[in-house]
Amino acid sequence: MQAEVEETLKRIQSHKGVMGTMVVNAEGIPIRTTLDNSTTVQYAGLLHQLTMKAKSTVRDIDPQNDLTFLRIRSKKHEIMVAPDKEYLLIVIQNPCE
Amino acid sequence: MVDTGMSWRLLKNMDVWLPAVLATLTESQSTSRGGAESEGDTESEAGSRLRAVSTEPDMRLQPMNLPRQCLASGHSKSCQTASIATAEASVQTRKHADAEVQTEVPAPVGARTVAQHDSPRLAAFLRRVEAMVIRELNKNWQSHAFDGFEVNWTEQQPTVTCLHTLGYPPAQGQGLHVTSVSWNTTGSVVACAYGRLDDGDWSTLKSFVCAWNLDRRGLNPQQPSAVVEVPSAVMCLAFHPTQPSHVAGGLYSGEVLVWDVSHPEDPLLWRTGLTDDTHTDPVYQVLWLPEPRHSHRFQVLSVATDGKVLLWQGGGAGQLQLTEGFALVVQQLPRNTKLKKPPRGETEVGATAVAFSGFDPSLFVLGTEGGFPLKCSLAAEEAALTRMPSSVPLRAPARFTFSPHGGPIYSVSCSPFHRNLFLSAGTDGHIHLYSMLQAQPLASLQLSHKYLFAVRWSPVRPLVFAAASGEGDVQLFDLRKSSQKPTVSIKQTQDDSPVYCLEFNRQQTQLLAAGDAKGTVKVWQLSTEFTEQGPREAEDLEQLAAEVAT
Repeated sequence: MQAEVEETLKRIQSHKGVMGTMVVNAEGIPIRTTLDNSTTVQYAGLLHQLTMKAKSTVRDIDPQNDLTFLRIRSKKHEIMVAPDKEYLLIVIQNPCE
Repeated sequence: MVDTGMSWRLLKNMDVWLPAVLATLTESQSTSRGGAESEGDTESEAGSRLRAVSTEPDMRLQPMNLPRQCLASGHSKSCQTASIATAEASVQTRKHADAEVQTEVPAPVGARTVAQHDSPRLAAFLRRVEAMVIRELNKNWQSHAFDGFEVNWTEQQPTVTCLHTLGYPPAQGQGLHVTSVSWNTTGSVVACAYGRLDDGDWSTLKSFVCAWNLDRRGLNPQQPSAVVEVPSAVMCLAFHPTQPSHVAGGLYSGEVLVWDVSHPEDPLLWRTGLTDDTHTDPVYQVLWLPEPRHSHRFQVLSVATDGKVLLWQGGGAGQLQLTEGFALVVQQLPRNTKLKKPPRGETEVGATAVAFSGFDPSLFVLGTEGGFPLKCSLAAEEAALTRMPSSVPLRAPARFTFSPHGGPIYSVSCSPFHRNLFLSAGTDGHIHLYSMLQAQPLASLQLSHKYLFAVRWSPVRPLVFAAASGEGDVQLFDLRKSSQKPTVSIKQTQDDSPVYCLEFNRQQTQLLAAGDAKGTVKVWQLSTEFTEQGPREAEDLEQLAAEVAT
């Protein structure tokens, strides 16, 4: 089980352009990360809040709908969030420009 | 509190446990202020007996007396511990050994690994999302959807404009030049030093240090918010990194002074005076450095053409004390680059500019009169072979000599984004981009047919730097656009008189102050292209730095 988790995260992290990968639990506490502690804590807290807001926005517009994926594109890179009931997977990629 | 299970066990060994239990109970009784009902969960005999005890009006029961009262069967049993024999024994260690104990910095709360039992759920979650995430990562990598897509959050400033033209008429009337500008730590005050940078004996010329507060309403460009009269020409200026009103200046006479511009009546805080330690030649640059042990306190570093680099600390009675000193001597220069032989008799190497690396606090670059930059270290230990008197032993700081310019260097600047890159500008009109790793410059750009007086890296854009030329313009280079010619060339003076100094404002990054030979300081507002970082600039700078010849 433990090995499978690590394998999956390693696969994602070794993808082209990926700068960092982290898994955050439902309370916004990071569980696994490939970045340093302070950066991880910052990303985890902020993106957890943003994901909750995005989720409630989607549901407010249409209660039958739900958030499946969140992508934030910024000047320097792209942040991807895959949300779930218990966890969030956050991947930061530097796309080819 | 005694729970049910425990009280049954107690019944079996009552004579052993009872005294202790009763003792604790009475203690808890006396502290609970008659809350006898709290023990209501015990239904056992012991419990009821204990309750009987607890309803006694007199709460201060001695532990010793209780057993006699509580045992309804009547036989008295005294519980008293046999007297314990005690004897004094002193213990003293004869031998001791020092063992260093170091506590680890507590790991910051944050990336805690969750307990093992969550692994199956975590694995299941990752299995669910992995395919989707990989698909999105691939799509993103190949996507051209956002090519050339740029969003502007701030108002776009297409051209460079002159925000303020500041001057002090009495100084301008004396024909003084602006020799140095500095922004303070909050970015709202710009100060300039008046002096003269061309030849002549002006050591007795009175000059000024003027400061303007640009955020104040009703700013009069001809009337500085603070003016300090100085007995000798001021050659360089530097604001304190944390105190918004303290500014250090180096004079033509070799003195270093520190003023407080918020007290115009009595601004002088510290001075070196004219002692044996003071520089014997004009001080060309001053800098503030954090003290090695107390990083919130700062000391002043001064470089002068007498070859000395000195570190001063403010002592009592307004006196700047020399704490450390370095001297550059020709014989002690590292021989990795072949240099021209100096004229006979000269052993000192005059220093004209200094810049510290933001990445290594003890590493600094010196620009010299001989035109070659030197890589130096504050931690150098070798004593300098100089006969100059000094209260503190002078050391030789140079570690590496870089390939020279065609003339003296007037300015050096270390890149705030890359640990190995620095720029130097000299009287040959060229800018050299050096890497700390090799003696030959990575690039040599001719900016002017006259002298270049100042060069500074931009604090926000890794590939941008500005240079002040003797032809009266400020040239802004963007290495991303073109490495041959300047992106923008701003004309500062109408009659081509030189621009002597420039500084970027670190807080309001669109501002650039430049001082010229007419005694004016112009504050330029840069266009947005110079203030916003592009997508891959840091990587491009890395690539530039990696062009070191192997």
